[in-house]
Amino acid sequence: MIRDRLVRAELVKARAGRTGPALAVIAPVTCALWAALQALVFDGLGELPAASRVENVYAMAQQAYVFTLILGVLAMTGEYRHQTITWTFLVTPVRSRVVTAKLVAWGLVGLAIACVSALATLASGAVLLAVRGLPMLTPGVPLVLLGAVLSTTAYALLGVGLGALIRNQVVALVVALLWFMYGDYVLSSVAPDLGRWLPTGAARALSGMHLQAGALLPAWAGGLLFAAYVAAVVLAARLVTLRRDVT
Amino acid sequence: MLPTMTAITVTDLSKSFGAVRAVDQVSFTVEPGTVTAFLGPNGAGKTTTLRMILGLVTPTSGTALIGRTPYNRLANPITKVGAVLEATAFHPGLSARAHLEVLRTAAGLDPARVNLVLEQVDLTQAADRRIGGFSLGMRQRLAIASALLGDPEVLILDEPSNGLDPRGISWLRGFLRAHAHEGRAVLVSTHVLAEIERIANRALIISAGRLVRQAQLTPDSTDLEHLYMEATS
Repeated sequence: MIRDRLVRAELVKARAGRTGPALAVIAPVTCALWAALQALVFDGLGELPAASRVENVYAMAQQAYVFTLILGVLAMTGEYRHQTITWTFLVTPVRSRVVTAKLVAWGLVGLAIACVSALATLASGAVLLAVRGLPMLTPGVPLVLLGAVLSTTAYALLGVGLGALIRNQVVALVVALLWFMYGDYVLSSVAPDLGRWLPTGAARALSGMHLQAGALLPAWAGGLLFAAYVAAVVLAARLVTLRRDVT
Repeated sequence: MLPTMTAITVTDLSKSFGAVRAVDQVSFTVEPGTVTAFLGPNGAGKTTTLRMILGLVTPTSGTALIGRTPYNRLANPITKVGAVLEATAFHPGLSARAHLEVLRTAAGLDPARVNLVLEQVDLTQAADRRIGGFSLGMRQRLAIASALLGDPEVLILDEPSNGLDPRGISWLRGFLRAHAHEGRAVLVSTHVLAEIERIANRALIISAGRLVRQAQLTPDSTDLEHLYMEATS
């Protein structure tokens, strides 16, 4: 199905390792729990229209982003941590090709995890909403799930890029998690006008998450902005860390 | 690459790390059908030189060619050059077979190569065990298997006998000798002079980044230790 041999080699790594399969289980479970929680606090968000609140339940599918982000970071920095980067560069001395193959392969792995997570969210949310006698679906739900799948996949790409830029695994993980779990949220709450332009804001726009405060960009613009962030990080990696000596 | 062509050509190769001149204007060639010993004290620049030949370290100046092409511009480099490097490791969670399968897939080689090289280094029995549980000697064998995967004309080895037991060392000696007899080139860095003088045709001695001695060797008759002491004193 996939012809490019470097991408296929990355997929062999993904299958042979244990992190990918583990995260592929943890991510959908987490999403299902978030969707359940959102369905339980449904009435507490009274100032939003009911349709928005239903969509917010399904938007929990984007909570898988943490796991695809981690997966992307691990995929790239693991090569440096275990010194397998030497083998990788001996086979493929054109280093930018390695990063491109990783973006494609781990983007595909991220997409798979995103799809499973969206299905888990859909199942969990629909059941709980139905049990509580609330409206189960709105016309906007398919788009919300699609957006969540796209943004979750995009975070895998961002993770690969960050891992290429920051070769130390622990530092890369800490930076990625602090930045995307807290940093952007803090900045957004301090300066709401700035929030929509941050990676998190772009991802939220892409995933169609309705916020109570601070308007987001349209989904397509959020997607483009997020892609620009990924491109910028990968470009920085190519200019700074990727060309360094492997000793 | 034709076997008659010079296998490795290093010309005025230099590398500085900050103010330290790690490799200084080193030039030599490695010919097919020979085992060339690359000798020198720790920190003399052996590893840096080998990594520059393999495109892992960028030279400050000078060139290193495999045949007529720099490593980084070879179309499918592991089919031309096999490398066993120090400080090269494996993902502990993968099996030996999975590690080789990753390299094989990335290089687009025949699937049968994996079993073949596992057999060549006598790792068939351990092929499906996780590398995390491997001894140093087994890892070294796996590194050699990885280097052989592309059936290369040129082998570059950095301290390959590290961690090998006497049987392994004996095997490696026979293996390198056979490899050279097939008309292939071997460049091997080592500290074990008594071992390498049994198979090497040529010695390159590097000290403080400079190539201080090149000598033809007659296997089993040259006093390599004497030569080394003289060159590095």
